[in-house]
Amino acid sequence: MSESYRLIVTDTSPLFTLVLADSLDVLLRPGLSVSIPDAVYIEATRVRGAPGADRIVEWINDHLDTVRIIPTDVGIDQQRRLEEGRSIRGLGEQAAIEALERFLRSDAEARALLLFEDTDIERRRAIVGERVDLVSTGDFLRELESARLIQSSDYILDRAAAQGRNIERQRQAVSDLEARKRLQDHLRGDQGIQR
Amino acid sequence: MTETDRERLIRQYAAREITWRELRERGFENYVEVLGALGALGLRPPVAPMDGPNVAARERGRAAIREGLRTRR
Repeated sequence: MSESYRLIVTDTSPLFTLVLADSLDVLLRPGLSVSIPDAVYIEATRVRGAPGADRIVEWINDHLDTVRIIPTDVGIDQQRRLEEGRSIRGLGEQAAIEALERFLRSDAEARALLLFEDTDIERRRAIVGERVDLVSTGDFLRELESARLIQSSDYILDRAAAQGRNIERQRQAVSDLEARKRLQDHLRGDQGIQR
Repeated sequence: MTETDRERLIRQYAAREITWRELRERGFENYVEVLGALGALGLRPPVAPMDGPNVAARERGRAAIREGLRTRR
């Protein structure tokens, strides 16, 4: 497919869903260049060791010919906000809009396919022109399922949720362990005072 | 956010009564947290039916993916 038609990832949710389902490669199946705005990339990977983050970085590095991170002014603002401890909520989508506008300006023939999370695309009207198409994670998976390139979209989504549940359990176990340790330390401290 | 509130929101999200954007506004930090909560309740991430305000653009998007998959075969 033409280089002037690109898939732009507008949010972290498709990346996390696919990475936890161990299926990030499905994004490459239609043969489109994949653009990830910097603010989306940073939001997905900024916490070192966070679930899926390392694998997303690794996947991008393995496919630098097809997947690129797009620098934006919103991304610069995001860095500033992170340094100042301010919220970065919603900046991924703003960066995607900036990346889209730059891309469409760069080439009169350019067209883009924006990848959204399902509930957001269902309920909120996206401002799109003739040169912009939309797709949700679910739409994307359904097309792969129809083409028999994946077992089923439900399988991928279930796998992502199951992996998410395991991560949540591990996090809770660590959190419980830390809470127990704090309590033990506290009790030891109290005993020390009583002596 | 209490555990009950969290569970209620996740169930509403799975039923497509509220959006991911609304979950974020109500305190969910990232989508891994949402996937974990869905998995713990035996639910799967919601998939949007082909209706709503963006149908025409979504149909074009799906057609583009179909075409890409067809030409790559």
